Amino acid sequence: MIEIKKVSFQHENAEKPSLKNVSLTIAEGECVLLCGESGSGKTTVTRLINGLIPHFYEGKMEGCAMVNGLNVTEAELYDTARIVGSVFQNPRSQFFCVDTTSELAFGCENMGMLEDEILSRVDEAARELNIEKLLGRSIFELSGGEKQKISCASVSALRPEVMVLDEPTSNLDVHAIEELKQTLLGWKAEGKTIVIAEHRLSWLRDLCDRVICMKDGQVAFDLSMQAFAQYSTEQLHQMGLRSLRDEKIAPVQNSVPETETMQLQNFCFSYDGTPVLNIPHLSLPLDGIIALVGPNGAGKSTFSRCLCGLEKKFKGQVKINGQLWKNKQLLKNCYMVMQDVNHQLFCETVADEVQLGMRSENSSDVERVLEMLDLSHLRERHPMSLSGGQKQRVAIASAILAGKEILIFDEPTSGLDFRHMEQTAALLSSLKGNQTVLIVTHDPELIQRCCDHIVCIENGTVI
Amino acid sequence: MARGILQASIQNRGLVLDPRTKLVMLFDIALFVLGSAGGGSVEPLVPILCAMPAVLMLSAKKWKGAATYLLVYLLSWLTYTQLVPLTKGAVNFILLGCSGMLSRFLPGIAMGGYLVSTTTVSEFTAVMLRLHLSEKIIIPLSVMFRFFPTVMDEAASINAAMRMRGIYMGGKNVGKMLEYRLVPLMTCCVKIGEELSAAALTRGLGGEAKRTNICKIGFHIQDYLLFVVCLIPYAVWIMGRVL
Repeated sequence: MIEIKKVSFQHENAEKPSLKNVSLTIAEGECVLLCGESGSGKTTVTRLINGLIPHFYEGKMEGCAMVNGLNVTEAELYDTARIVGSVFQNPRSQFFCVDTTSELAFGCENMGMLEDEILSRVDEAARELNIEKLLGRSIFELSGGEKQKISCASVSALRPEVMVLDEPTSNLDVHAIEELKQTLLGWKAEGKTIVIAEHRLSWLRDLCDRVICMKDGQVAFDLSMQAFAQYSTEQLHQMGLRSLRDEKIAPVQNSVPETETMQLQNFCFSYDGTPVLNIPHLSLPLDGIIALVGPNGAGKSTFSRCLCGLEKKFKGQVKINGQLWKNKQLLKNCYMVMQDVNHQLFCETVADEVQLGMRSENSSDVERVLEMLDLSHLRERHPMSLSGGQKQRVAIASAILAGKEILIFDEPTSGLDFRHMEQTAALLSSLKGNQTVLIVTHDPELIQRCCDHIVCIENGTVI
Repeated sequence: MARGILQASIQNRGLVLDPRTKLVMLFDIALFVLGSAGGGSVEPLVPILCAMPAVLMLSAKKWKGAATYLLVYLLSWLTYTQLVPLTKGAVNFILLGCSGMLSRFLPGIAMGGYLVSTTTVSEFTAVMLRLHLSEKIIIPLSVMFRFFPTVMDEAASINAAMRMRGIYMGGKNVGKMLEYRLVPLMTCCVKIGEELSAAALTRGLGGEAKRTNICKIGFHIQDYLLFVVCLIPYAVWIMGRVL
């Protein structure tokens, strides 16, 4: 069904090629997992199949890719779109319409199908994925999991024979991943060919029949899932892969020491009259690393926003070391490292950036923190030119130097491979003892590595 | 996320009008209220036109918008007609300027607000197709409307980040606020724009086939009624000329 013939590809402006002479054949009805570290070329392979390379992402390319007899390297993207459907990582940026029904119809409309045909296809896709009740809603009201379902359905409506998914679970919780799995199982039963590039492997164990691991732009190995499942977790980690076992969130020691706690009081908040957060009282260990878990839409982000003093109408307070912090003090003493770090880097050099929020200029402090976070050699670089992990460290450095006592991380490891996840875990552990760190996360492996306390939020309350 | 421009939800939207009717009404208000076309003969009809945005907002269950509009408009109108003649000098000048501007511009702005907050992007595109505009104009426009809420979302996150860093009005670094806001905003928008185009292209946007649009637009009894309302000022205008 899919045939990649001796493809080499180098992105424009890239220093090294993303693919080196890769050849692959995928049979009809196969479900293939593409794994490998970040930058190993798995996303590039998915883009070869859906034609975005070389038509959208330009660069130097040799060889070609055939899908169902169509040379997608040469065919126009709208012809490829009939046989290859794509689901992407970021649900925020893959919707073209603003309401769900038009989104489902979007692909068919582009093909110029008849109106009745489109309507029946939309209905069928919605029935298949069990999302009838989501029709006619605004995209912006949906949760991450619901958005991902809509994008699957909108691809489904075009009835392509090949489905390509590029890290579809980066922003999903356990429950939403399970539903995505059901969708994919449905497609598999229909005999569609599925290619998934993913870091998180455990949910694909019973779904994929073949595993292709990429390394430095080449195929490192190509195994059946049965053979792949024989690898131990340690062996996988050595290859830079995440665990294949279903990692449950391990019950870490959860007793709060009597001394050294901070008391969160009256953490209640509602948006337009709908209560989303209702935590009358909660004590958290001071200077610990606390994981904040719970399903999408449970109130985790509202909790973080309130704790950072970002909600002006928020009335709660934090009692810490005998002091009482309200909104204003919270804003001064807490800092959130956002999932998209690009939102919080403003200056022209790293050195300026970390000094921006400092209350008094103190160059020895700056030196010490830059050293600690391994940023000294980058001090003259523009923050936007750094890699994701480096940006994250710059944001942390700026928070420490601004004298923040509480740091909150929003999904710091979403979309990271094993090695980067471990680096982040080490970095977070190194903050222990100086700052209180809260991590909003869905990543059991991260929690296992660095957290010493878990708070689970569901329906706006702690359970 | 609050609903913004062309982000109407399809559920619970009250009385639905064809976007073309709304456009005609907007044009009417611009012509007769803002441009005071027709002069003295049409003037008695202006209050009716000014009331239309409020009526329409009520029909679309936008209670708050309607109330705010009515209140502000009545205030400025009362100032204009009652308070201004009583004052002198600089006060008179300022009051006249403010209330005069408000009472002329406000109906148009409110009508525009009603138009964009009760129409969805697909309805808008459908209408433009019906009006035989080229896809070269329609596609960029619909992308633009799709982009507004995203940009606002991004701007809100950046704003939050700035406040956590102690950059706010009255804090230090006020002079650089614009730069701090725009640089990350542009970076994020470029990235999202690229991902968005990639997603749209893999679903066949830009093909040779003529796009269909499943959005049902069409004129109903309420549209015809409004057209009649829209036509009255023209009729009065022409009659005033002829007679």
